[in-house]
Amino acid sequence: MIRLTIDDQEIEVREGTMIADAAARLGIDIPVYCYHEALGPLGACRMCLVGVEKMPKLATACTTAVQDGMVVHTYGEAVDKGRKGVLEFLLINHPLDCPVCDKGGECFLQDYTFQYGPPKGRFKEPKIQKVKDGPINEFVLIDQERCVLCQRCVRFMDEYVGEPQLLLDGRGVETVVTTVDGVPATSQFSGNVIDLCPVGALLSAPYQHKGRPWNIERQESVCTMCPVGCTTLATGRDGHIVRIEGRPVPDRSWGWLCDRGRFGYDYATDPTRLTISFLHANPEAAARTTRQVGHWMSDVMRDAGPDSIAVVMGGLHTVEEAHQVHAFAKNVIGTSRLSISRDVPGYVPRVLNGTYADIADADTILLVGVDPYEAVPVVHLKLRERQKSKRPVKILAVAPRDLSRDSLDVNTLITHAGQEAQVLGWALSQGMGTHPAVKKLAATAPVGVADEDLTALSEALGSSEHLTILWDGLQNEVGSVLAALADARGEKATRILPTWGPSNWRGFERAGFSADFDALTSLLEDARAGKIQMLMTFGADLLREYPDERLVREALQKVPHVVFEGLFRPTEPSLYGAQLPQAGPGEVAGTYVNMEARLLSATPSVTPPGQARPVKSYLTAWAHALNKPFVADDDWDPYGDDTADLLPFDGIQAKVWALKPPNLGNASGMELVTGALVIENGIPSHILEPRAPKFPGRISPQDAEILGIVGQGLVRLGKDGREIRVPVTVDERMTPGRIFVPLGMASCPVNRLGLGAVEVARLEEVPTT
Amino acid sequence: MLDGVKAIAKGMATTFKALSEPRDTYPYPEKRREYSPRFRGKHMLARDADGHELCVGCGLCEAVCPAHAIRVVAAEAPSDQPVSWTSRYSVDYEVDLIRCIFCGMCEEACPTNAVRLTPFNELAAYDRETMIADKEELLRPAIRK
Repeated sequence: MIRLTIDDQEIEVREGTMIADAAARLGIDIPVYCYHEALGPLGACRMCLVGVEKMPKLATACTTAVQDGMVVHTYGEAVDKGRKGVLEFLLINHPLDCPVCDKGGECFLQDYTFQYGPPKGRFKEPKIQKVKDGPINEFVLIDQERCVLCQRCVRFMDEYVGEPQLLLDGRGVETVVTTVDGVPATSQFSGNVIDLCPVGALLSAPYQHKGRPWNIERQESVCTMCPVGCTTLATGRDGHIVRIEGRPVPDRSWGWLCDRGRFGYDYATDPTRLTISFLHANPEAAARTTRQVGHWMSDVMRDAGPDSIAVVMGGLHTVEEAHQVHAFAKNVIGTSRLSISRDVPGYVPRVLNGTYADIADADTILLVGVDPYEAVPVVHLKLRERQKSKRPVKILAVAPRDLSRDSLDVNTLITHAGQEAQVLGWALSQGMGTHPAVKKLAATAPVGVADEDLTALSEALGSSEHLTILWDGLQNEVGSVLAALADARGEKATRILPTWGPSNWRGFERAGFSADFDALTSLLEDARAGKIQMLMTFGADLLREYPDERLVREALQKVPHVVFEGLFRPTEPSLYGAQLPQAGPGEVAGTYVNMEARLLSATPSVTPPGQARPVKSYLTAWAHALNKPFVADDDWDPYGDDTADLLPFDGIQAKVWALKPPNLGNASGMELVTGALVIENGIPSHILEPRAPKFPGRISPQDAEILGIVGQGLVRLGKDGREIRVPVTVDERMTPGRIFVPLGMASCPVNRLGLGAVEVARLEEVPTT
Repeated sequence: MLDGVKAIAKGMATTFKALSEPRDTYPYPEKRREYSPRFRGKHMLARDADGHELCVGCGLCEAVCPAHAIRVVAAEAPSDQPVSWTSRYSVDYEVDLIRCIFCGMCEEACPTNAVRLTPFNELAAYDRETMIADKEELLRPAIRK
């Protein structure tokens, strides 16, 4: 520890701390543009000049490490003169067009000039003209005249994200920030440079001219697009959310967002949003439909008993809303058929659930099936930060496709689709075969996987002191292997981060719903068998989400009254008796639970549009129709007593069961590989349309050659008489014999086929788009 | 009795003297008072010599307004159809003349000298709605008859 004095205040900090950070801990504000704690020191802007006793000149606080006995002055004649001079230089070519600049009012160049800058510049020559409002990509605009060349954006993309798509071009006063070769930046994280830019150079294109800091309202919110649960600030103006910014949480998150979360806010005003209700596919006032549903409910309860009503929870509801639905279903209806809408069968008990700190602490990270960049993008940044840190880390993957990227070094063991559990189980039995839990797995040797790969995997799993696993849940049996792994590793930490949706599934579980996939399956089978007279889905579009579309379709056709409540009309609205509009995130107060099992509270920014309302108002109306009291239990608290903002432990233990040898299908077809793609999570966004992949499927170059596809094309996937059409791209990372189709896409519903081998044929017509 | 006559005479003298003095009131609306050119009455939005609006919708008037009487919504104009002298313009500009206290801070804050307070002060209406001056109205400043 090092003791130093800053402005007559003494402080003790760790060795290697910069003066700027030490001062920040004392609450002393040192102006700075280029420095960001996540990016490290650079000293490009010269704004943070401070006086250090016994140093002949002013020093930059962001690049000067503290030393014992140092005496720092952050104000005084010399410091003020230095800062004044720096600002005068920074403003020499600045256009001073604050009235038309979107940063106006929240701009550090304005603030610091006001605080430290000269009242007038002495430079009278014409200013250099550069590009104004040029595109970085569809979402980010650059105004090169306003740039102070702090390089935060360039360093973020290059060093932090690892996708060097921005660079400094030119020399001297002609230096500009631009994209490489003028190609639009394609990174998932491009929007973060807007938050990083301390001046008005990088601006949000969809937010352009939409508001000023004094006529907007910023509310602390949570992104619900994927299970990462990034903390956000939602900007509301005139009843609409017009911007999403990252919200850093000290010691936990830098406030990075992916573009999906940052720019996907316009779903709330999307024309396809449910703002009125539908009764038998006819538009109807929500109050009327609610009343009608109440009548159905009372009829069904009288004629067939409360257990013939089933409730499925899903979508973007809060924990509190889920609790209200649960209380209603249990106490008012009295049904026991309650489930969570699941798109993958996997399950991780709360006791094994890890946090993001486990990524930072791990010495081995295992990805099972999931591609973090596509499914949970901000976790990809966390993995990358871990990989860049000084302590070594091994990132392994067991997946049917290659998961390594230029920005993340992943050692992938490529398996057959559906073989992950067998491979992991066999690797376990090689290293820890004597443990009873591993014996219980009764793993068999996998075909087509090299022995040395298995040995390496087995060694890595056994020797790791802190193992963190990311799992996409696609193969249920992996849950058994991971439970056995955690058991066999004993004291050594084994933590799992589940990356599947719905993003708040753990919160629904906390509210009382069963997250068990089999519970949902048996509920749907009962519905198909005619045992259910009324099915109520809250936020869940089962046809899109459930892995076996045929079962859902037959179940929905069989149930006389299907009630849907959600943000958007469900797939095939004609199957639903009633559709009710939902008040979504940003419109209701409540908490969401992310994949860490962490509770995150969100404040509403706007009121729900149209007739959309919080779920409680529907429940109250139905309780009236049933003539029963409904107490929503407002004093219910999702938080636990001793787990801070993590969910309390629920007593569910990890289960280990024997693995069945995987059915790898016949050799003639191609293997179908699926995975979540956050950009295609079913929530429409007009802003993000240019980013949505036109050809989301992926095949290897070898298969493309066989099928005669060059670059992109359309293929037909068939299995057991069912077929879908998938626009595909040739992807060199794909293994021959595999075809990748994202989960849950409306245009190519892969859940119509199910996993396993599929027949693939190229369609003659190639779409023009 | 003489005292009474004297008192009436004195009083009447004051009356007759006042009759011949210039009046403090005006026979409105036939005759109207002249105001100083710096009088702060109803707002207007000015244009430049080419007919482009000076207002760029920066919202500083909105920020500075102590009565929260101004609402500005800015937008980007298509490059072939400029509205203001730059690409940014105000798509909505409203002054609530009932809320306005005519302090003139908006005029003072305006970086482009677009919003100005004219001497026009004949502000009366039958309902509150018509007292909200929209952009169209402000761009055509009212002239005293």
